[in-house]
Amino acid sequence: MKDKIKNIVLPASFGILMIALWEGRMIHKLLGFKPFQLPIPSEIIKTLSKNFNKAIIDTLTTVNGALVGLVIGCIIGFLVAVIATQFPKWGYTGLTVIATFNAIPIVALSPIMNRWFESGFGQKVGVVTVVCMGAMAINSYRGLNDLKPFARDLMQSYAASEKEVFFKLRLPNCLPSIFTAIKINVPAALMAAMISEYFAASTSGLGFGVKDNLRKGMMAMGWSYIVMASLVGIILYLFIIVVERRAIKWHASQR
Amino acid sequence: MEAFNYTDTTEFMERDFSNSKETGTEIKIENVSMVFPDKNGGEPVTALQNVNLEIKQGEFISLLGPSGCGKTTLLRLIADLLQPTSGNITVRGETPRDVRLKKKYGIVFQNPVLYDWRTIRRNVCMPMELMGMKKSERTARVTKMLELVGLLDFGKHYPYELSGGMQQRVGIARALAIKPEILLMDEPFSALDEFTREKLQIDLLRIWNKTNKTVIFVTHNISEAVFLSDRVVVLSPHPGRVSAVVDIDLPRPRDMECRQTPEFFDYMTKIRNSFEGV
Ligand SMILES: Nc1ncnc2c1ncn2[C@@H]1O[C@H](COP(=O)(O)OP(=O)(O)OP(=O)(O)O)[C@@H](O)[C@H]1O
Ligand SMILES: [Mg+2]
Repeated sequence: MKDKIKNIVLPASFGILMIALWEGRMIHKLLGFKPFQLPIPSEIIKTLSKNFNKAIIDTLTTVNGALVGLVIGCIIGFLVAVIATQFPKWGYTGLTVIATFNAIPIVALSPIMNRWFESGFGQKVGVVTVVCMGAMAINSYRGLNDLKPFARDLMQSYAASEKEVFFKLRLPNCLPSIFTAIKINVPAALMAAMISEYFAASTSGLGFGVKDNLRKGMMAMGWSYIVMASLVGIILYLFIIVVERRAIKWHASQR
Repeated sequence: MEAFNYTDTTEFMERDFSNSKETGTEIKIENVSMVFPDKNGGEPVTALQNVNLEIKQGEFISLLGPSGCGKTTLLRLIADLLQPTSGNITVRGETPRDVRLKKKYGIVFQNPVLYDWRTIRRNVCMPMELMGMKKSERTARVTKMLELVGLLDFGKHYPYELSGGMQQRVGIARALAIKPEILLMDEPFSALDEFTREKLQIDLLRIWNKTNKTVIFVTHNISEAVFLSDRVVVLSPHPGRVSAVVDIDLPRPRDMECRQTPEFFDYMTKIRNSFEGV
């Protein structure tokens, strides 16, 4: 009960307080903003509901690209981790290469990759894929290989095959790390997709919506897209957490 | 309360093998040394030096010695989880590897080694899956084995919901479930309370008595070694080597009363003295 107050009620009341201060233009007074620089929440909501259909279509465009890239990136990252585990000699090199992709800033990567693909969708998927590979490869490699002491010996003492070791030991041992990687990758994928839209010639999507509306001085509409992006991020994240609860209820993180 | 069931459980280690009436050599350890190189470039550790030991078919043998004297290392060498630096081990005339690949070892490790993602039942089940046993048979055996270690009510729990001693008992049940022909136990009872320990000691003797399997039992408890064994192998550390082998000629079957006899105390004294001579 105490934990609930600490973890839910306190942050929630803080959020509500902030929104109330924002609505009451206290923040504007404090920081010297003009109303057009920072539209108040009620105005943003009004604008959003007026343009809801277009906002939804743009959101779906971005989410589509982000999710497809997320799935492809996670699969590639996981496969690299599996190869590095089963064939350590040269597989580990692949892992290192993938891991260094993580060091490339998306802002640098995005304009370059946008020249490789024709469609805005392809550009988005490409950038998101590259962004998601590294975290998945590193995390799942750790999960596949950080086994408890003697866990391997137990398998070996019953002359288990490599395949049995993989499916009965490594893979279940890796599940928590896979979820960790997905939780890192969900917000990263959305961000990468939006950044790709900033640079692309595309005329739809959340990233384009923010950029275009702010450029035209339609602040409230720009903010509507920011609201949508946040909502989508939160919903996807919660979804992953719910799945994780069910999938690895035996793990220390879920107790 | 967990109930301990002494009846109907011993059959699980029964398995007829032709030479069971013979008392030939089961395991022969010749001049075995094990040196671990130090990873940081320091002095290598000699865990075992020139160990010679013959273990007879059907024998209950204890490896006794202080921490760090190489008990676990010797067990792992026999199980082919480790290869000796020099010397030779044969098990029924074969290499430890052949015997391992034939899945004839049952090992109870020093810590329980349960898989967190499997329930207790499915942990006990795991070796049987690897042996390709039918599901109905697996289920029946898991039930019997959990009954034996008094954990039937915990079958659907996950390992983290059990105490350390309970987890260790699951490890014992898992090793016994496949009716191993050679049972290697690394301090299996050291995490248990006195009551549970005594009960499981007697259970183990019953199972062993009925099935005549070879048991190699690691312990640092002198009384436990005397109570259980046909022979106690005393190891001394730095470097690990056999310092004494004591035959225990107490009559079998043994029960708690056996522990009160003067002969029992004589053996304990004898073994304790062999330590002091080190
Ligand atoms: N994998 C290893 N690498 C390096 N040194 C090791 C390794 N395994 C064991 N040793 C060393 O070998 C010696 C014997 O270890 P071992 O685990 O066999 O002792 P033990 O008799 O089982 O002790 P305990 O009663 O504490 O379990 C110790 O000095 C230990 O540090
Ligand atoms: Mg040990």
